[in-house]
Amino acid sequence: MIAIIGAGPAGLAAANVVAESGAQAIVLDSAPRPGGQYWRHRDGVQGYKSYRAHGYFDSIMSSRNITYIHGAQVWSAVRNEGSITLNFIHEGVEKSITIEKLILTTGAYDRSIPFTGWELPGSMTPGAAQALLKGHGVVAGKKILVSGTGPFLLPVAVGLAEAGADVLGIVEAHSPLRWIRSPLALILNPQKALELFYYLRKIRKYSLNVSFGRAVIAFNGSTATLSKVKGNLEVKGQVTQIECDVVATGWGFNPDATLGGILGCLQKVDRDGSVIFSVDKNQLSSVENIWIAGEATGIGGADLALAEGELAARSVLNIPIPIRLRLKRLRLQLFATALQRSYPVGNGWQSWIKPETKICRCEEVSHGEICQSVSELSAQDSRTSKLFTRAGMGLCQGRVCSRNVSEIISQESGCSVSDQERISYSNRPIAAPISLGLLADGITGQ
Amino acid sequence: MSPTEKREVAFTFNGETFAGAEGQSIAAALMARGVRELRKTRFDEEPRLIFCGIGICFDCVVVVDGVANQRACLVEIREGAKIESQK
Repeated sequence: MIAIIGAGPAGLAAANVVAESGAQAIVLDSAPRPGGQYWRHRDGVQGYKSYRAHGYFDSIMSSRNITYIHGAQVWSAVRNEGSITLNFIHEGVEKSITIEKLILTTGAYDRSIPFTGWELPGSMTPGAAQALLKGHGVVAGKKILVSGTGPFLLPVAVGLAEAGADVLGIVEAHSPLRWIRSPLALILNPQKALELFYYLRKIRKYSLNVSFGRAVIAFNGSTATLSKVKGNLEVKGQVTQIECDVVATGWGFNPDATLGGILGCLQKVDRDGSVIFSVDKNQLSSVENIWIAGEATGIGGADLALAEGELAARSVLNIPIPIRLRLKRLRLQLFATALQRSYPVGNGWQSWIKPETKICRCEEVSHGEICQSVSELSAQDSRTSKLFTRAGMGLCQGRVCSRNVSEIISQESGCSVSDQERISYSNRPIAAPISLGLLADGITGQ
Repeated sequence: MSPTEKREVAFTFNGETFAGAEGQSIAAALMARGVRELRKTRFDEEPRLIFCGIGICFDCVVVVDGVANQRACLVEIREGAKIESQK
């Protein structure tokens, strides 16, 4: 039996290959509906634009070869001799399946950089504003500012404007001129230019104000403070204020490496500092019978995830992989590299942090406390600092802050963040919270 | 009934009755009704709403029918559910 974890673009593309081949697969996804973050939607909502997505949804829902289990949170996984056991929570009980081959498509989540007031109501990730809108039909606030860096800010701002929100602007930290450094990626991916053109038309239609080289450096619940920033995000002055009740701020994405990490799949540090899985040309991980596709092998967007998912499933089933598919993946990988080059997140953000700025949201640890753990208690890595301050020890298990904590300690101590540390803070022993009661009840379903 | 119309679901949040569309998350239903605070933090007693919106950050945790640490951004509203702010 084959299992696919995740029903975003990569998982759906993989499931589609399996469905067409006549083999059997089980798809486990934590969301109530297929699509992942990218194709998040509501039941029965008209006007959902992607025909491509619906083809994939139909494929997993109507194929007799695919068992699609939604609302399934895989919290742990164990490798046995020749098989893999997946433990998941479904409808309030712990269940378990044992399979032979696994395709992991666990995706990514917004990367956040702290600023004073980022913990207050109204400050959220662009992904949160997007999920509220696409998943629940709710506009996050009355006056919304979309900020940070990367192309994801465009669909979020345009989507909110289309839904009737008062979008005050898109605040992009980098200059679009950075794209000049990646001519090949642009020439090979003309469809991306069409996408950009689509958003530019929408930006004009809704008269959205786009500014470059600026960042939100503070928020108090009703006013955002903006500053000009350098290419490394260091504050350059020229501070302005904008009245708004929502700032949706995102700095690219963090791949979700947890499940593959639990299964012992080899990880590496990508050029942008994020931790991704090492896979071979067929998306096979370092562990036999585990393939990984999509954002967890490097942030690259839905089109790359689709190509990787298809390729992984073909490899699993020993179906020939057309050269066209390999070339498509290569072309989109080039584009992904260009994205990293065009929207880097430099360490300069630390220039807008104040001693009282919260760094760990869960445990409410301030920048001052983390610095103190370095200067007075000689912490030189995030793990040691965590023991002194509790930064990264809360319910989110450091998913939001640990990368930032490491970079703060690196700046304070003068020691650079090692790859080993980056891999260590990207992993956690369980992938989703499970109550002791559920654990004690034992496995009830198969 | 058109396919976009959803059944209304009534629930309480800190004793007050709210209604949302079937399938909406607790956070979405409350935010649609203007709620800007789901809980106060343990140490500094600061207000919190949602942050990541996709179940990663656990900032929006609430107590649902007596069960703590439920992510309001993920858990869907249910008829008669008793939702309370988490201390």
